[in-house]
Amino acid sequence: MKIMQMAFMIVAVFFFFVLVGLFFLSIQFKDVKGSAAQLQRDQAISSLRVIADMPELSYDFSEAFTLDEDKLKIMTGGFGDVYDDVWPVASVAVYKLWPVASELKLCPGLGCNYYELYDNGQNNSRTYSTYVSICKKVKESGFVYDKCEVGKLEVGVVDAGGVHQ
Amino acid sequence: MERFSFAGGLGNKMNKMRNDKKGQQEIVGFVLIVVLVVVGLMVFLIISTRTSDDVKSVEVGNMLDALMKHTTDCAVVYEPDYDDFEDLFKSCHQEDQCSNLGLSACDYLNESLRAVLEGMFATEATVGAYQIDFLVKDDEGEEVLLRILEGNCTGSVFSAQRSIVSHSDSLVIRLKVCSTLS
Repeated sequence: MKIMQMAFMIVAVFFFFVLVGLFFLSIQFKDVKGSAAQLQRDQAISSLRVIADMPELSYDFSEAFTLDEDKLKIMTGGFGDVYDDVWPVASVAVYKLWPVASELKLCPGLGCNYYELYDNGQNNSRTYSTYVSICKKVKESGFVYDKCEVGKLEVGVVDAGGVHQ
Repeated sequence: MERFSFAGGLGNKMNKMRNDKKGQQEIVGFVLIVVLVVVGLMVFLIISTRTSDDVKSVEVGNMLDALMKHTTDCAVVYEPDYDDFEDLFKSCHQEDQCSNLGLSACDYLNESLRAVLEGMFATEATVGAYQIDFLVKDDEGEEVLLRILEGNCTGSVFSAQRSIVSHSDSLVIRLKVCSTLS
């Protein structure tokens, strides 16, 4: 009788710890999945820095993610196609978030806010974007100053059979 | 004969008492184990919820950097020496005036920061809420100078902060974004 009681006790304690362990593991794995997804996103965004910091786009070499609006204007004039072999991506575009506009207006053009720098025409691409500063030199009342606005750099990466980077 | 039966009854009673005592000890032991595990679990849950509350994010960091470099329409000294948001935070802390707009730097900061953030988050479908805090940090703690909070948070919180120095005080700008993405 006593041995039976002890056996029941051991089984009960064992099941209790198994339940606690499962609870613990489920919380841990949920966290790991979330962290992995966040790390992937952070890695993708950090890799956009390579494109943002290219001399063809960068405004100030000492600061990351700062694009030169005048260079963007030049690149939209068909120059982007020359970079077919240089840019290992499907598309590169930049758009201004300020001043707020109800729709994207393709540059070059008056009051435009969307610069399509490069597009190799691939449809199966996944886009990653990050916030950048779009800066230019402005002359006002005889003074020249840097004017920066908030924008977004959007890069399309070829989606190889559902395997995301 | 009677003596023997009396002694036997007493022995049975003592055995029963001993068994009861042992059973009670087992129960107390089991309860102790359960209490220990529950306390351990509670500590773990508190730590895990605390850490997941404030996840540092590169994306939010870039957002904050771009915001800090954004040129505003406020010129404190002369036009066109316009402040960017980083300078405007300093001007607000120093209680300066936007001479070209006839507004205090803090009033203009409040107004323009709301508008720019609204424009930035208008393109973010996954953002449910955001909060920006402008704090002065010293030895005694933190004092909130400006807080903008929009939306209701139902997802994960990602954050970033930048520190700037103004008149030997440390200013902290902290941006928290609530995203529905895990």
